[in-house]
Amino acid sequence: MEFSPDTPWQKVLDAVRRWARINSPWAIHYNSGSCNGCDIEILATLTPRYDLERFGVKLQGSPRHADILICTGPVTRQSRERLLRIYEQMPDPKFVVAVGSCGLSGGAFRGCYNIVGDISEVVPVDVFIPGCPPRPEAIIFGMVKLLESLKKGKAEVATVSEGAHA
Amino acid sequence: METQRKFIVPIGPQHPALKEPGHFQFTVDGEIVTDASVRLGYVHRGIEKGAENRNWTQNLYLFERICGICSHVHATALAIGVERLAGVQAPPRAQAIRILMAELERIHSHLLWLGVAAHEGGFDTLFMYSWRDREIVMDLLESLSGNRVNYSVNLIGGVKFDVEDKHRDAILRGLDTLEERTRHYLNVVTTDRTFLARTRGVGTMSRNQAELFGTVGPTARASGVARDVRVDAPYEAYTLFPVNLVTDEGGDLMARFVVRTKELFESYRLIREILDHLPSGELTVRVPRKIPAGETVSRVEAPRGELFYFIKSNGGEKPERIKVRTPSLCNWASVMQVAVGHKLADMPMILSGIDPCFSCNDRMVLINRGSSSQVWSWDELRRYGIEYYKKL
Amino acid sequence: MDSEELIQTAMELLVPWALKVNRPEGNRLDVFVEPHHLKEAVKALVETQWGYFSALTGLDQPPAEDGATEGHIEALYHFCRGPVVLSIRTSVPYSNPVIESICDVIPSATLYERELMEMFGVVMPGTPSTDRLLLADDWPEGVYPLRKSFTGLGEQKLEETDGNAA
Ligand code: SF4
Repeated sequence: MEFSPDTPWQKVLDAVRRWARINSPWAIHYNSGSCNGCDIEILATLTPRYDLERFGVKLQGSPRHADILICTGPVTRQSRERLLRIYEQMPDPKFVVAVGSCGLSGGAFRGCYNIVGDISEVVPVDVFIPGCPPRPEAIIFGMVKLLESLKKGKAEVATVSEGAHA
Repeated sequence: METQRKFIVPIGPQHPALKEPGHFQFTVDGEIVTDASVRLGYVHRGIEKGAENRNWTQNLYLFERICGICSHVHATALAIGVERLAGVQAPPRAQAIRILMAELERIHSHLLWLGVAAHEGGFDTLFMYSWRDREIVMDLLESLSGNRVNYSVNLIGGVKFDVEDKHRDAILRGLDTLEERTRHYLNVVTTDRTFLARTRGVGTMSRNQAELFGTVGPTARASGVARDVRVDAPYEAYTLFPVNLVTDEGGDLMARFVVRTKELFESYRLIREILDHLPSGELTVRVPRKIPAGETVSRVEAPRGELFYFIKSNGGEKPERIKVRTPSLCNWASVMQVAVGHKLADMPMILSGIDPCFSCNDRMVLINRGSSSQVWSWDELRRYGIEYYKKL
Repeated sequence: MDSEELIQTAMELLVPWALKVNRPEGNRLDVFVEPHHLKEAVKALVETQWGYFSALTGLDQPPAEDGATEGHIEALYHFCRGPVVLSIRTSVPYSNPVIESICDVIPSATLYERELMEMFGVVMPGTPSTDRLLLADDWPEGVYPLRKSFTGLGEQKLEETDGNAA
């Protein structure tokens, strides 16, 4: 059977796929040069107190299974390549969440010689979560925002709180 | 002899993330690791050079962000060093608050490590429990400083906030719960059979090795080396509140678990004592904007061991040179020597045994098998380890 | 042993090679040696088990502006024992920056040596690995970021922050 984008079958399939993606997005976490502060907060978000898994978000190891790339830290010269590679290995559609002031602007490390820039200079970012580090609640909020915008279709670029890096 | 297989294991963002995230390269003969080497630099940001372009106060914030897990000790080491160069001393109350925060940070760090190391061993229940309990400390840190991580306690010449009665009560209540939980964890790490199978007699480092390789912190103390800056060269209020050393003769992974867990009790005791005898007085002293020329060495005990700062000022507003040697670097150096002769399946546990903060372990592992190379993730290596032990 | 005695024993051990001895602070001892004596001095410490090798600091002394003196790299081998920090200091000129490796005496020194080599361009014959430790794979050869003359790569300049910036 042939599928063309307009057949009713394809529409049903798309709807199912979207439903699945929104209800159980898989995430991969990459640290491209962060101080670890953001990373431990992401881990804390997954542990019982905050329990991000109740939104179906699951952290796993392989980029090939991931829908969401959670990225922390400024991008260092050495990790730039790897960040790009991970992004390219992820299947479409894919979304990037930048966590922490460093990932938004370089933060405290802006201007150091081994920093090539913030995350949005290397891969397109869908959600920015500011803070140094952001609280687990902020990370959850950012993820929920992303899921909400997925429901509407394509995610617009969202910044999670006021006064953040545009 | 089998064809040599080479494993390149880049492991997640390491601890004093100044330079830690590592690429490990294991050469394996069958199951046994015959050579190990490391490549850092994924999180190398150029902080030491960056420091030369920032003034002293800005550097305090920069250095706090070397590592988000033990941020406070970094800022403390810098502040102590700069104060010494400037010829001032933080007031007694500030000194006590500094070490109070340092001990709270140690608790959060050790609990974090306990969870992550358990996770490496496939013991996820312990991971979840210890992280749940860790939230108690995080709440305390937050109520004191306003932030859960990177608390910015220090100023050059003092601290930013005071410890009030309401904090005191909250801390004491939190410690009671934690103490009870920690007793449970100590019981688990010393009696659980599956756990012991992964830790007892694994990754043993003899006392002589630990001495020679310059191992520091709990890793050294688990090999019977009584080495702790808080005891050897007490700084700040540690002169008023002496620390009892926790050591163990085992030298293996289990000893490292035991030492760290027991250190938690010591931290609880210390915090209670500090709260009971908190000196009164000012929180800050004035420090000139320009720091007199000179060199100094500042050592403090981070959760993972001795943190070493070499600070040189040329009399200006900016430092001439700040050299940071983080405890993990020492311990990397030694674990690379110890890894040889162990099974590949033990590597995740041995590496996490020195507590390089594994906040994300989901990196690629490149395996060169003869001429062909294969990519593994750290996660797969971890699972390989767990499966290997299931078969036994 | 109290710190005075510790310092005395260290001084006695190192006297055969010492060019100059300095006591910058109560618990510190600086011993200046010739580069080719460094290894023997370190050996003497290790054989008598005086302390442990704690850190290796590099310091850059750029050449005088008028070119009257040559630039030097100073290497400080810090040993700690109890409260005492002993630094064996040796200085090599830019034109011949050679310090023999101490790895056969202290095997774990390799990481420190790799750092000194790439950050300052010191050559260390006998060191087991000369691979990059910290700098990125695409970092240009012969550029040593911790030398004072380094001000950034290509068009990327190290940012000067003024006093008001965060
Ligand atoms: S935003 Fe702050 S906590 Fe996060 S990686 Fe950067 S410095 Fe660390």
